Amino acid sequence: MNLRHPLSLGLLAAAAALVVSGLLATLAGSSPTEAAVALWDGMFGSAYAIGSSLNAAAVLLLVATGFIIAFRANLVNVGGEGQICLGAIFAVTVGTRVLPDSTPAFVALPAVLVASVVGGALWASIAAVLRVRRGVSEVITTLLLNFVGLALLLLVVHEEMFLRQPMSSSETLPQSLPLVDGAHLPLLGIPRSPATAAVALALLGAVVAAVVLHRTSTGLRLRSVGLSAPASHRLGARVDRLRLGSLTTAGGFAGLAGGVLVASAPHVLAEGVSSGYGFSGLVAGLLARGSLAAAVLVSAALGLLVSGGINLQLAAGIPASLTQITEALLILFIAGSALWTTTGPRGAGRRSAGWPRRRPEPDRSGPPPGGASEPSPGPATATGSGPDGDPGPAARPADRPRTTHLEETRR
Amino acid sequence: MTSMLTDLLVASVSLTIPVLVAANGELVSERAGVLNMSVEGMMLTGAFAGVVGATSTGSPVAGVLCGLAAGIVLGAVQALLSVTLRANQIVTGIALTTLAIAATTFGARLLLADRGVSVPGFDRLAVPVLSDIPVVGPALFAQTGLAYALVGVVVVLALLTSRRTGWGLAIDAAGEDATKADWAGVPVRRVRWLAVVGVGALSGLAGTQLALSEVHTFTDNMTAGIGYLAVVAVIAGRWKAVPVMVASLVFGVAQALQFTLPALGVDVPFALLVMLPYVLALLAVGGLVTHSRPPSALTVPFVRAGA
Repeated sequence: MNLRHPLSLGLLAAAAALVVSGLLATLAGSSPTEAAVALWDGMFGSAYAIGSSLNAAAVLLLVATGFIIAFRANLVNVGGEGQICLGAIFAVTVGTRVLPDSTPAFVALPAVLVASVVGGALWASIAAVLRVRRGVSEVITTLLLNFVGLALLLLVVHEEMFLRQPMSSSETLPQSLPLVDGAHLPLLGIPRSPATAAVALALLGAVVAAVVLHRTSTGLRLRSVGLSAPASHRLGARVDRLRLGSLTTAGGFAGLAGGVLVASAPHVLAEGVSSGYGFSGLVAGLLARGSLAAAVLVSAALGLLVSGGINLQLAAGIPASLTQITEALLILFIAGSALWTTTGPRGAGRRSAGWPRRRPEPDRSGPPPGGASEPSPGPATATGSGPDGDPGPAARPADRPRTTHLEETRR
Repeated sequence: MTSMLTDLLVASVSLTIPVLVAANGELVSERAGVLNMSVEGMMLTGAFAGVVGATSTGSPVAGVLCGLAAGIVLGAVQALLSVTLRANQIVTGIALTTLAIAATTFGARLLLADRGVSVPGFDRLAVPVLSDIPVVGPALFAQTGLAYALVGVVVVLALLTSRRTGWGLAIDAAGEDATKADWAGVPVRRVRWLAVVGVGALSGLAGTQLALSEVHTFTDNMTAGIGYLAVVAVIAGRWKAVPVMVASLVFGVAQALQFTLPALGVDVPFALLVMLPYVLALLAVGGLVTHSRPPSALTVPFVRAGA
């Protein structure tokens, strides 16, 4: 077994993260076995536990799928949280204010879910437009849009003029009215399991995304933009439009995750509806290293972790934030070990592995080949995280056969 | 009217100081070529460690030292990841912040569970005469001792790292072209390590200021994005010390409106006020500052060719 393979490093990182979390659980005054039993019960203990894990996994998979789509074009969507909020707000607006009570399910459910996609996509398009038109790093803007989105959610559930249920007493909770019955996501029909159609929806989304990314020319173009925007531009790809489209689609998927959350029990919009799904979805997308099949597995694992973590708090009294600690440690271990990951032939492995491509150090050790013609950086990005002014790949196509894009995409 | 303005100014200056301190640390680090999205996490950890230190020893000064130490530890972790291990700076920064949010929430359940214990903090020190100046007096001359000390630290740091000093030149060289800086004998990795650890120290201190001078307690995720505002202040300030300070002040005023407007009876939904600093930040990065250029080597890890 090759220890430097991304998979074995990932498993090592997961093991390390779990060991640290186990130590923290002990610190919280619970015996390791007690914690393990509580975690296990929360994950697999009952049909109910498995069902809620699956529901959590479905939400994560939707966010992760969006993340991977944007990531193909080398855009990092950190804005899952805000996009979930906007998706949920749009869904609830349609599901409580627009649709009449007796709307049949075959109208209501699609209407609500489409609204959530639109909400998330609109929210992400703000960042996408700023990226394309003004060169502002999408990391910063999507991150800031999270805070604005969370505040918007706060606003709509606290103000009666927006989505708050009518106040009958001072104890009326700050949450929306329940969605019309037709907009409730159906259960999958597994006995005693709360698993909803969201699971099927998320899997479908991942399959469609995989087909588009791997089997269509759009997928190929996105990939080429991600590998080198200047080269793609020269070859005729409409870089701006592809970037805009991929980040907006990512927002649409995260918005759909928000729609799914409010269309599941208890069918209301309340503060904290996104509760960390944005970050966990990003974790799933990152760990999947660009592969949607891997995203399904990682989302399932994280979904189990989320639902196990809730039981950890209920049964063993260990704060549920432990699962977030585990996730963050996992990312840190994996990102920190990227140096040791095997890179395939000609370094193609690292690139195709799906990590945000680091801008290569501009190699100015020798005189530039054409003498004076150093590639001039494009419009400066606000934080320089984008590859716009990147002379590296442009200076490098010679050492990669052109068919590589195709071959990698087929894999 | 005058008292309203005075209140607003007092709150503004108080809320500016944490952003200002963290932003100045981040400014130095970005000039050296390292972006730290973990400023938020460092501030939160500083606030947590400050409160834990102050409650367990009973001394706010010990709390500040704890916050400083915690910030330095986080800074060292970020430096290890960004500089030595050449990991992706954005991903590790955000992950480190998430770790800090989760770990402080976790730690608060264990260590600060007995709520209601008062946290020893700093009292406001009114400078005689000066603090009696109408309107601006209380804002500028009735802050806590820690606040004065931190402003001093910021000024000294800005002077020491200005482009008129050798340190400032080394920092800019490392952030503009690490390879050539290396040829010229600038210890690029050491400069970057120090800069990132400095961000940790300053952000930790900013957190203690927030917790021990202003809020006098620790609540889960109490920084709630202020650290990201510090990162944006650096961008909005076009990587120059004085504009960064101005940007920090703008964010401070925007935050202060959250507390002063409701106190004045202005009927604005609270959520809109919560949103305000972030909307301003978005406008700042999206609209106002397009003709700025970040340090060329920002987020680019340095490795010596052939090494």
